[in-house]
Amino acid sequence: MEFSEHIKTANVEDVVLRQTLHPPSRGTLCVTGHHLLFSDREEGSCRQVLLLLRNIDAIEKRISGSSGTISIKCKDLRVLHLDIPGMEQCLNIARSIETLSCLEAVSEMYPFFYRPSNASLQDQWGLSSPEKHYSQMTELHDRWRLSTVNRHYSVCPSYPPAVIVPKNIDDAMLEKIAKFRQRGRFPVLCYYHRKNGMVIMSSSQPLTGANRKRCMEDEFLLQAVIDGSDKGYIIDTRSSQQALQARITGGGFESKSGYSSWKRLHRQMERGKALQESLIKLVEACGDESHNMDRWLSKLENSKWLSHVQTALSTAGLLAECVERDGHSVLVHGSEGTDSTLLISTLAQLIMDPCCRTLEGFLALLEREWVQAGHPFQQRCSHSAYSHARLQQESPVFLLLLDCVWQLWRQFPLALGFSEALLLRLATEAYASNYGTFLCNNQQERCVLRVKENTRCLFQALLRPRERDGYSNPLYEPTELAIWPSVHPQSLQLWRGFFLRWTPQARHLEEAQEEIRNMIIEWGKLALS
Amino acid sequence: MEFAELIKTPRVDGVVLHRPFMPTVEGTLCLTGHHLILSSRQDNTEELWLLHSNIDSIEKRFVGSLGSIIVKCKDLRVIQLDIPGMEECLNIASSIEALSTLDLLSLMYPFFYRPMFEVIEDGWNSFLPEDAFKDLESMTDEWRLSEVNKDFSVCPSYPPLVAVPKDVDDDTLRKVATFRHGGRFPVLSYYHKKNGMVMMRSGQPLTGTNGRRCKEDEKLINATLRPGKRGYIIDTRTINVAQQAKARGGGFESEANYPQWRRIHKAIERSNILQESLIKLVEACNDQSHSMDRWLSKLEASNWQTHVKEILTTACLAAQCIDREGASVLVHGTEGADSTLQVTSLAQIILDPACRTIRGFQGLVEREWLQAGHPFQQRCAQSAYSNSKPRQEAPSFLLFLDCVWQILRQFPCSFEFSESLLVLVFEHAYASQFGTFLGNSNSERAKLSLPEKTVSLWSWVNRPQELERLTNPLYEANSLVIWPSVAPQSLLLWEGVFLRWNRSSKCLDEAYEEMVHIIEYNKELQNKVNSLRRQLAQLETEDPLLQTP
Repeated sequence: MEFSEHIKTANVEDVVLRQTLHPPSRGTLCVTGHHLLFSDREEGSCRQVLLLLRNIDAIEKRISGSSGTISIKCKDLRVLHLDIPGMEQCLNIARSIETLSCLEAVSEMYPFFYRPSNASLQDQWGLSSPEKHYSQMTELHDRWRLSTVNRHYSVCPSYPPAVIVPKNIDDAMLEKIAKFRQRGRFPVLCYYHRKNGMVIMSSSQPLTGANRKRCMEDEFLLQAVIDGSDKGYIIDTRSSQQALQARITGGGFESKSGYSSWKRLHRQMERGKALQESLIKLVEACGDESHNMDRWLSKLENSKWLSHVQTALSTAGLLAECVERDGHSVLVHGSEGTDSTLLISTLAQLIMDPCCRTLEGFLALLEREWVQAGHPFQQRCSHSAYSHARLQQESPVFLLLLDCVWQLWRQFPLALGFSEALLLRLATEAYASNYGTFLCNNQQERCVLRVKENTRCLFQALLRPRERDGYSNPLYEPTELAIWPSVHPQSLQLWRGFFLRWTPQARHLEEAQEEIRNMIIEWGKLALS
Repeated sequence: MEFAELIKTPRVDGVVLHRPFMPTVEGTLCLTGHHLILSSRQDNTEELWLLHSNIDSIEKRFVGSLGSIIVKCKDLRVIQLDIPGMEECLNIASSIEALSTLDLLSLMYPFFYRPMFEVIEDGWNSFLPEDAFKDLESMTDEWRLSEVNKDFSVCPSYPPLVAVPKDVDDDTLRKVATFRHGGRFPVLSYYHKKNGMVMMRSGQPLTGTNGRRCKEDEKLINATLRPGKRGYIIDTRTINVAQQAKARGGGFESEANYPQWRRIHKAIERSNILQESLIKLVEACNDQSHSMDRWLSKLEASNWQTHVKEILTTACLAAQCIDREGASVLVHGTEGADSTLQVTSLAQIILDPACRTIRGFQGLVEREWLQAGHPFQQRCAQSAYSNSKPRQEAPSFLLFLDCVWQILRQFPCSFEFSESLLVLVFEHAYASQFGTFLGNSNSERAKLSLPEKTVSLWSWVNRPQELERLTNPLYEANSLVIWPSVAPQSLLLWEGVFLRWNRSSKCLDEAYEEMVHIIEYNKELQNKVNSLRRQLAQLETEDPLLQTP
């Protein structure tokens, strides 16, 4: 096997593992192609730590005398220290970890090797498909159709093979529009608001360029979206300044002259590198051990993470307001339409649509709006907050989404059918996983690598009865109403469950939650008997 | 009655009331000697009954002949009254101003309040020093209850009965009292059953610039040490502040005269700084701007969280000395009536599971704050909105409650009471129909005959329906010492007090209700299962056929 050449030392005895919340333990360390396995050999305890190498964000080694210490910083923000006897062994292990944790080839990643006994590859992969989704939404069928113009991924590589578009726009027009939108991401339907028939569309920026190119088909498509209604809104997730500047590089925005019935609203949302840096600063602040309150609060402020949470939630609130309160359809885009666009359309759906707030509904929403809609997970989540590697395409947009959902969950503890544990699990899985769900950057890549045939689906796994209990919200009481989050800075909090998850203070809170969960399970049993 | 002359316009019709998260109400505004009442005379709207003593400050605004009074309360709520007629509005405003700042204690509402509930247990007798001492006697015979202060002449701010080492007689105590600030000689605050170590508290020693010493003082505190053991003196001031105190006659215990004691200085801020911090914090919480940066930097600039952290850290230190080091501790700052009490009471929350029960917590507040002579009247005269020049105001007690809340949040199953009890005690410390928090010390309370003339807050709290509301549904008695995390990342803003009127808690309250409901139902079902099991067991013994498989 090709991994073996990267493993010079596969086994070391007498290794000491140190980790917060646990007493140090001594045991054997093994390196395999995908895992780091530590097993405690001491009498009476049988602690095992199995860590996906993919989960390792950065390591530090310190050699002193004949032994060394490797500090492992994980993408889920956990930090482990391994004291390894023997300098050479220590260096070997460190080198193996460094190489194996950032292998580039997707087909060599663990999901392709993961074969749990309780599931077979014949199990259904994914929760739904665009086809199924469309066929269930019968109220759409009058005015909307399912287009398979992208069935070979030739029109838009990052879109799924089937998308929902206005009925009177044929495939030939879509092909033309795709040329007018960055990376071919022509406007498609994301959400239909049953209450008033208004919709949320998403796309990428129009390629108007410096000489203000127009595309009649694009204008026609958007006109078809509002059909009969007096106007629609375009929420551009960039400031108007940024949108203007984008023209120089061939991008742009929908001008008043070409899209007279559409009112453009600009909201500046941070993206890409700035977000990643914000995450790095935040995690650094959370790990600060100086015990100085001022320093902590100013570091927290400087990281700007909470400002990003606030902006995301308030832009999503704006979007939901346009649809639900104002009764108008909205097109959302930024530049590429694969990050902040998805973020706010997802949040807006959670705010407005009770169906998205159940466990299944939420996972289906993520599948539709993130996995199928082409959020480039592979690029965005290849490194997390500890990595020293030069930033490329990394950006914690998905994490920001989970944080915003957590804020919703905290403000409306009864309205969401899933628990914080689910959000924590998703945050971990997006960065390193046994499952194939978050592999690759879009459906086309997944298709080429036959991800569906060769890996397991996370969403299906999370819905299996045993897992499901742990991820449901015991307090859930469905409400038909929209849940409008407060976006006052005073109302938003640091997501301690994630960012301070591995610090000692988290333990007692988990105990309390465990207590509630046990009670619910007990209750369930008693009610049955 | 003397209030009448302060009330020029006793009632106005057509007044509109705006309250946070409640629908506006239109009705008649009435001023009485102690209350501001707004009644709409409709069945389904809630009336407003606001104690004048709860009003921290008011603002008047006029638009044409319509005036508005913005009433800012000590519990941090802000309400607005729209009053038609300029003269009425001015009259009402001046009456509120006068009535809310009455200085005379005997005119306060608790002296007029008659309970509408049945007093099951008189709270004035629930937590007597002699009862607390009986518990101590069952554990150790090294302490005695001294009556040296029975007429409050030795230390005006101490109760008539205090626990002191057995071998120290009253004459010695009198001498020690002259050597300690405010006569506050070292007394027992807490006895740690697990290892027999104790925590004492006092005022600063009056060493002055020429290093005065007092043999009796040394003898007294050494009497609390086990042979060969050292103790810790926790001075809540920095070494600099303690040095400076010498110039004003105060000081600290020098190593030379107290060789068996190790002194540790901490930095808990003094009263006026704390008051300013509270004012800044509340201002930040009410800031309407949508800027996250601004909020976080205002929160930081208020320094409130820093004070919380310092106090908790010092309390942990005291607890550590006692529980982990097995040493006795003496805590003092300057007067020994503010930061000292914060530290001694929080250390007990950490060390003693009994203080984490509803009754135990009341006992702690009674013992370590009321009887220990925290000057509630002075400290709680104004809250965060007052425009008048601060005198002796300081949120020492509120900070203590905030720290308890932090521990409660970190150990959600270890407290019998919920956050509601802390909020309730906070409200009543600043304005109340009960006499518990009136006066600055036991001697003042005795002079006012409070137990005879007013109702105790504890009489109200210790009734089944109230206890039910204050109980933490997650409580599971935890006999261990609980060590809170004091890392800045672990400490949160106490939303239940500071953001209570800025954000709707409807959804959170609903979730809480739901949780309580589930827990109750769970208990019910468990009882059912148990009784069915008993029945089954009984049937099995009655019917021998069932026994053999």
